[in-house]
Amino acid sequence: MARAAGWTRRRMLGTSAGLGLLGAGRALAAPALVKGSKLTFWGGLIFSDKANKLLVETIRKWGADNGVQAEVVMINQNETVQKVSAAVASNAMPDALDLGLDLLLLLSRQGQFLAIDDLFESVGKAQGGWYDAAALATDTRKIAGGRTGLPFGITGNLLLRRNDVLAKAGFSKPPATWEELVTQSAAVNKPPFHALGLALSNVGDGNTQIGVLQSYGGRIADDSGTKAAIKSDATREYLRWVKGAWDKKLFPPGNTTWDGAGDNNAYLSGQTAFIANTGSVGIAAKAQDPELFNATLYSSLPAGPKGTVSAVGPNVRAIPKSSKNPDAARALLEHLAQPAFMEAYYADAIYGPVTKDQAKFKVFDGKDAIHAGLLDLVERGTAPAYPDLYNAAFADAWDNFVIPKMIQRVVIDSWDFDRAMDEAQKVTQAIYDKYK
Amino acid sequence: MRLAIGRRLAGVGTAQTRFAYGLVLPVVVVLGGLVAYPFFYAIYVSFTDRVVGNDGQWIGLGNFRYLAQSPAFLAAIWNTLVLVIVSDAIKLGIGLGLALLVNQRIPGRGLFRSALMLPWAMPAFVAFLTWRVIYQPIGGGLNLLLTDTGLYPEVIDWLGQRSTAMPAVIAASVWRGFPFWFVSILAALQTIPLELYEAARVDGATGWQRFWAVTFPAIRPVVIVTTLLSSIWTANSFENVWLLTQGGPSDATIVFPVLAYFGMQTQRIGEAAAVSVAMLPVLAILVFAGTAMMQQGEEDE
Repeated sequence: MARAAGWTRRRMLGTSAGLGLLGAGRALAAPALVKGSKLTFWGGLIFSDKANKLLVETIRKWGADNGVQAEVVMINQNETVQKVSAAVASNAMPDALDLGLDLLLLLSRQGQFLAIDDLFESVGKAQGGWYDAAALATDTRKIAGGRTGLPFGITGNLLLRRNDVLAKAGFSKPPATWEELVTQSAAVNKPPFHALGLALSNVGDGNTQIGVLQSYGGRIADDSGTKAAIKSDATREYLRWVKGAWDKKLFPPGNTTWDGAGDNNAYLSGQTAFIANTGSVGIAAKAQDPELFNATLYSSLPAGPKGTVSAVGPNVRAIPKSSKNPDAARALLEHLAQPAFMEAYYADAIYGPVTKDQAKFKVFDGKDAIHAGLLDLVERGTAPAYPDLYNAAFADAWDNFVIPKMIQRVVIDSWDFDRAMDEAQKVTQAIYDKYK
Repeated sequence: MRLAIGRRLAGVGTAQTRFAYGLVLPVVVVLGGLVAYPFFYAIYVSFTDRVVGNDGQWIGLGNFRYLAQSPAFLAAIWNTLVLVIVSDAIKLGIGLGLALLVNQRIPGRGLFRSALMLPWAMPAFVAFLTWRVIYQPIGGGLNLLLTDTGLYPEVIDWLGQRSTAMPAVIAASVWRGFPFWFVSILAALQTIPLELYEAARVDGATGWQRFWAVTFPAIRPVVIVTTLLSSIWTANSFENVWLLTQGGPSDATIVFPVLAYFGMQTQRIGEAAAVSVAMLPVLAILVFAGTAMMQQGEEDE
């Protein structure tokens, strides 16, 4: 990944620290930090080693500059739930941490985090305002009495396609609809090259199918977010689409049991023409297979009959109420939100911007296809769960993979659509009933 | 009997007895803290709606009622039983056969014994990720072997079909687990005095008769203990299913530990605990049955 022109790591760290201090002084009347005090930060490990290293170095330098003993622990994001669960139970939470939206909402509801409305306001004001994608979904004021998360990056799925293969078949534009995706896939499908590399397994990538279902008009629950609404004509239409593609053998074999890296591996090994991915594959291809990287184009997810549903996933930083050094934690969060750090961080990370000024960073100027796609996602993506209501029951249904499992009933067990929908409806209603 | 109990009760207050209890006390405290407390606490949690960050309320059988109507839970009961029974039966067959073979005076016996232990020595996640690669539909070793040799022309999606997913998980589990059976049975075989076989031979016993009359009675207690331990380990095994199929496709390989893990993923600790607690009756039956059979064996001897 090309770094922002002229920014060396050393220069960025120095400038970032300086600007951070200035910014902190200007935006908020920050309390003086206690010299020699300790601060522990749990950072979320992402796919880019450079970005991870930059985060760690920046926090350490900030600590050294401010006389705070800053310890950074980087945590595999797949293990955040387990680590945080244990930490909450044993009252051993860090002073600040990175986390995803579902954990933020769950723990905010339990009153685990400090309200940081003033910090949210000041960062947004100083940086051209927050994008809706970052601000709306992370609004915890109704459930926690205040905002508890400071957004720092947006993730979501882009459609990656093999332009070299598709161009030969006469397709120069990305598929605009899911039906068109099947048409393009069928045209280039030559087993063992199976064109449609979408996961249908019990992993997060499999849940991309929830968005496809919703773009066909299907729903997980009704508008009140209390009653399962899976069984419908729209869902039947969606299942017809999946089954049709399955019967044409467009999906790579094994995609019903892929792990989280299944689609990445299939694409990187040249076995498929399309995948829906956060962009991590592009970063990997750039390092491992420049030819594949150059042959890859990115676009937003295709539309269904009801339009495009492409959910954004905001990532936030939060301060637990149990923090022993909340003033330092607030100062650190504000420091990490400064443009100097964020510009360098975005250059290596696969996140879309959270504030409007960040969109003016060089990395989002359109020359880098992945970041251009992420910016597009931020500006045009849909709220998490939309058109469903993002509540605890929806998150539970998501984690129980009700839609991938419904599809597996159809394609693996050859159940008819109604039987598969009936089971999914019953399972989902049981989940929603737990939250009444 | 009454005299013996009276004598025992009379001895409770003596300095010697108190000293003996004092010696045992640390072990009791450690067992209570490390085994009993987490065990009973997990049972308590399974009756609550505890989630991450909130201790939750007592909800009685709420978690169990929810699980009972879940297709994944019902599939997990069946799959766990199939995985334990079939894989242990195959492990017994392979372990016993290889132990009998390697117990003979054959060239390179030491090398065989070491080599057969290798699957057990390999870290579980390495072993099962390797099996995942072997099962890959495209480029996987097993499919290449079948197609290149002409044994079967089509590519088989071993982990992606209901008919082959569980057999594939069982095969990988057997590969990783049979060395324990092999080494346990081999150790038992080596304790059998050769004179017994010579006496049986002099009496005109056939090989089969020697096995049933001499070998099997001698290894029976070991086979029972091995069956018991292996069944518990297999029922609690997570890596084999998680790394190969994540319980899919269509819950064809979902087992209790994977289901409990999904419960943790949803941050519903009470529900995850209920899945684990639901396994307890079956495991308790195994433990009690195994212990009873061992005691029976000792009394027979």
